[in-house]
Amino acid sequence: MSNKTGLKQFVAKPARLPTQNDQTIIRRIHSRCFNTIGNSILTISVVVLGWYVISAALDWAVFNAVWHASTRRECMNISPEGACWAGVISWFNGLIYGRYPTDQQWRINLGFILAVMWLFPLSCQKIAYRNFILLSWIGLYPFFGAYLFLGGTFGVDIGVFHGVLTCLASGFFILLYANWLLAILNKPHLCEIFQPLASRLFNRWSQPLCLLFVWLVLSLPAAAVLSQVQLQPVAIERWGGLFLTLIIATFAITMSIPIGVILALGRQSTLPVVHWLSLLVIELVRAVPLITVLFMAVTLLPIFLPSDMELNKLSQVLFAVCIFAGAYMAENIRGGLQAIPRGQYEAAQALGLGYWFTMLLIVLPQALRLMIPNIMTSFISILKDTTLVSIIGLFDIMLMARNISNDKDWIGLHTEPIAMISILFFVLCYSMSQYSLNLEKRLKVDRS
Amino acid sequence: MNKVKSIVAAGTAIFVMQVATSSSAMAQERTSTLQQVKDRGYLSCVIGNSFPGFYSLDKDGEWQGMDIDMCRGVAAAVFGDASKVKFMPVQWAQSFTSIKSGEGDMLSKGMTWTLSRDTSQGLDFLETYFYDGQGFMVRKDLGVNSVKDLKGATVCVLTGTSSELNLADYSRTHGLDLKTVVFDDSAVRNTAFFNENCDALTNDKSGLAAQRSAAPNPDDYVVLPETISKEALSFAVTQNDSEWANIVKWTFEAMVAAEEYGITSANVDEMKNNSASPVVRRILGTEGDLNTGLGLSPDWAYQVIKAVGNYGEIYARNVGPNSVLGLERKGTLNALWQDGGLMYAKSFR
Repeated sequence: MSNKTGLKQFVAKPARLPTQNDQTIIRRIHSRCFNTIGNSILTISVVVLGWYVISAALDWAVFNAVWHASTRRECMNISPEGACWAGVISWFNGLIYGRYPTDQQWRINLGFILAVMWLFPLSCQKIAYRNFILLSWIGLYPFFGAYLFLGGTFGVDIGVFHGVLTCLASGFFILLYANWLLAILNKPHLCEIFQPLASRLFNRWSQPLCLLFVWLVLSLPAAAVLSQVQLQPVAIERWGGLFLTLIIATFAITMSIPIGVILALGRQSTLPVVHWLSLLVIELVRAVPLITVLFMAVTLLPIFLPSDMELNKLSQVLFAVCIFAGAYMAENIRGGLQAIPRGQYEAAQALGLGYWFTMLLIVLPQALRLMIPNIMTSFISILKDTTLVSIIGLFDIMLMARNISNDKDWIGLHTEPIAMISILFFVLCYSMSQYSLNLEKRLKVDRS
Repeated sequence: MNKVKSIVAAGTAIFVMQVATSSSAMAQERTSTLQQVKDRGYLSCVIGNSFPGFYSLDKDGEWQGMDIDMCRGVAAAVFGDASKVKFMPVQWAQSFTSIKSGEGDMLSKGMTWTLSRDTSQGLDFLETYFYDGQGFMVRKDLGVNSVKDLKGATVCVLTGTSSELNLADYSRTHGLDLKTVVFDDSAVRNTAFFNENCDALTNDKSGLAAQRSAAPNPDDYVVLPETISKEALSFAVTQNDSEWANIVKWTFEAMVAAEEYGITSANVDEMKNNSASPVVRRILGTEGDLNTGLGLSPDWAYQVIKAVGNYGEIYARNVGPNSVLGLERKGTLNALWQDGGLMYAKSFR
């Protein structure tokens, strides 16, 4: 009682001992998993449960599985309890390339390799016009890819516009690799070599004009070669499998960023028409499930368009998926825009930058970098959402998998194809998320 | 600046008018389907996503099945080339609109001919190429020989299908008190049945045959003899285009007639050159001018049989005893009329 008014004395406790790292594994397990009765029960039940699940899964998928058989009946005769991977193996090409003709499937492989090769020079920091690589991949490669996958002859099945852009794309590809080689060898790039000539020809804008000139010159041999090549035409109905899934996903992912930026800026705009239109698009699309947007694109879009304008199903689906992905991306980007302090806008204004320069140079780079985790999440969900196109009859990997169970040789084979697709999607999505972690680290998102 | 704006506005107005006029042109009368098919260069055939024996993909991505052969036959009749056909797999809801919009020329997707579909969907149903009906499959060890023995049993059925409605009707009229277990997905339903979650599985009999052949051990299961519904799988084309309807109709009649008169894909060349029978000669176009009314070339039926064979061959190849469905033809409605079935070719005269 007498002490009540007095201040409490602070008595320093002795510091805790450092955690011991020299424990043996057994002691560590003991102290973490079996330290109380409750924990012991938990540990044992988790181990038992895990053992049952994993051993059953392995029994089915590996130990009892059949790898070589010509029909499902044969699989069942060999091992009724195991997975019948033989069916998936025999349909493997179908799962990857869809209904693409077997002897033409090299074109898809080539297209895929070229798409990767197009981006490969990005790894070289010194290469000239590095910023154009990604832009050309988005703007030029699709025309080249479409030519490769659709096939046909110049001037017959391929229109003038498409043909010219295909040649320009090939020319750019050659230019890209010439520059890459020169950069590796520490030589001046192609345009610099022709610079003296160019500056004599053109008084102003000599550098971009020179680039354009070199590009056009390189496109000519490409055009000469391509006009002699005759690729067997392959109709879009025959596209399918993982190939189609990747086309839709890549297209939606690349288009979602520009659409998202435009919609997000539009939503923040002070111009009422722009503001309300953007708001309307974003909210309408986000309020409706993707499957409905897809059905609307397939059934309603042809009604709005003039009757002589025929759209194939793939472009209708691409339209729908892009709008959908763009609307979600717009909200991600808006989140990023709101995270930028007002001071940044005001500083830009004080420097005398207009609206577009403020956005392009100051605000958007920061906003996009802040939003990398969210944007990547959107990308992954776009990739997974593309499997919905199977419902409107595009033969993507999902529909091909479902068709295995109706093939007369593999009738009733449902589980194995789906298991195979799950593994494939896991690999794709996991590598995407790892890439985003890597990107965050490189751009140091959390440097605050 | 104002000038630019007014030019833009005028341009927009012209564009909008253009779109408006061209879409109003859509409402105009369509040209004949035959002309449309010939202009396009291929037949567009509406099918469903996948159904073993009738339309399914093989591992090279080619369509095969009974409906597929029927469409190939029509392509052979029109073009003399059975490969000039494209298949349009559509969802159930789109089947009717795809024909009405002119996207598809004929519908051959195992669709049952019913009054409401014939009268209110803008379609004309033509010939029935397969008589199916709903049946039941049970495990053999239940010792059940008739649906009547299934009193109080649980039945696996797909929800939202006519099978579900037929089942309820049948259960009520016969006082069977069947309990339904509904599923959304046929794969899940089949697995449930094979795992003994229900006593019986109900579906069209051709479907039951497919599901039986996918069973872990098909001999453990038996399809009961009763058929509780009428499913006449028929072709359909757009309404009021007799020219086109005749072509589809008579392509099928030619397949059935060919079987009746013994013409097969193997002997059709020999028959064409050597047969003395006037009927065979008329069918194959070596005598008479039956083709003129159809607007096809004289050897149209020869092309059909050469490409896909007669009805018996098509049946045997896709759904017959040696196929995956293993459906016996003898004694069923799908047999020729002289064998007691309903396949009766009209007169080629």
